[in-house]
Amino acid sequence: MSSSSSLGGHSKSLRLAGEDIWKNKTEKVNGELFTLMYGSIVSQLCRDYQRCFPKVNDQLYTMGYNIGVRLIEDFLARTALPRCENMIRTSEVISKCAFKIFLNITPQVSNWSTDKNAFSLVLVENPLSDFVELPMDAMKQLWYSNVLCGVLKGALEMVQLDCDVWFISDVLKGDPQTEIRVKLNRVLKDEIPIGED
Amino acid sequence: MVAGSRTQPSSEQDGMSEQERLQHQLQIFQDSLPKVNQLAYQMLLNEMVPLAVSVENRLAQTEHVNNSETIDSSGDKDTVSEMVRDLHISPKLDLPSHKLCLQLYEAEEERKKRILERLRSMGFQTGNKLSELLVFSNNPNLTFKDMDLLAIMKFICRDVWKQMFGKQIDNLKTNHRGTFYLFDYEYRPIQPFALDDQSTEKELEMVKPFLEIPVGVIKGVLSSLGYKQEQVVCLASYIDRPADRPKSTFPKGISFHVQVNK
Repeated sequence: MSSSSSLGGHSKSLRLAGEDIWKNKTEKVNGELFTLMYGSIVSQLCRDYQRCFPKVNDQLYTMGYNIGVRLIEDFLARTALPRCENMIRTSEVISKCAFKIFLNITPQVSNWSTDKNAFSLVLVENPLSDFVELPMDAMKQLWYSNVLCGVLKGALEMVQLDCDVWFISDVLKGDPQTEIRVKLNRVLKDEIPIGED
Repeated sequence: MVAGSRTQPSSEQDGMSEQERLQHQLQIFQDSLPKVNQLAYQMLLNEMVPLAVSVENRLAQTEHVNNSETIDSSGDKDTVSEMVRDLHISPKLDLPSHKLCLQLYEAEEERKKRILERLRSMGFQTGNKLSELLVFSNNPNLTFKDMDLLAIMKFICRDVWKQMFGKQIDNLKTNHRGTFYLFDYEYRPIQPFALDDQSTEKELEMVKPFLEIPVGVIKGVLSSLGYKQEQVVCLASYIDRPADRPKSTFPKGISFHVQVNK
């Protein structure tokens, strides 16, 4: 199957493309190892900040941002996707391609705002928090997987989408589902060099 | 067939095939585990270094301001802006990772020590738990009957390294008195780092902090198998790659010097 030809189309081919890249073009590592490495990072942060969890959240977010701005490069190279024309398309690329390729999960897209600028990603499974259980004091304030928000923020910014990304709920906190909210603030303008026009 | 090979463990041929069968089973088990992208994993691994610097920066900042502000969760939030701020939707961002790495290179001794200690600690915790993961994977290479230090080091070279870095250690040397040298000529996480052809001292020095994570991992694994952190000294340094090895992107191999004191 030629993946490039299938990428032009609609959402179904996006899913196929994502699966094809995951299956055939991706080197994989044990997900449990990934989970416990991330766990080591979070627990070290909790210790460093003496269990001041908002600070841990911020640190995870900025770490994610720094990963996202570089991860997007690999994503674009691997998928050869063109620019998305609207947020609906963007949401599909994120859930069916990006999450599939990097974490082998496909979050559901839901809760669209009326202006179609904000949506939610519902994570049924989350490789970052497999077999994780938060202690009581952390349950209130810690967004354990906040690195994901940072990654999305950084990656979207690199494709000229200025977004806010944050967690709404997390099963680790006793919520019924894990939900990330993505809200478009504005589309950043392509800068034209001075004197070009 | 299985019963046959059990009753004649002395038979070389049967022993081999039994071993192979178990090996095969382990492989199937490993393949059945959930997987994630190697790149996502590696970026997370390497991002620990700038992260450790950033934490140090932020801790120093709060100490500098020296305000003992505690999070006031009891007071009710009147304004929307206050609530938004508390939600921390878009926190203040850090410097980019490469700037943080440069800061680490330029940091004075004390600061550097604290940052490297933080890195080792993260590696330590990973290694500590990783050995549990590997021990319970029905690995035929592992027998706990008279598992001596050498066997543990072999376990690190083979299973731990394979799991974490996708390859085994290239060479293991020991004096049988508690000193071990583990050579990895292509330490995986640093391979994509672009260095000039004539890799300058500065650049090599800047990559060095990335070696503290595997140092921590080695100590963590040893600790989980009964060798306390204080007993173990582990140091990483660069070595030249043997001439007969194919040229890789990173010009130097890594040597881990492990010293275990009884």
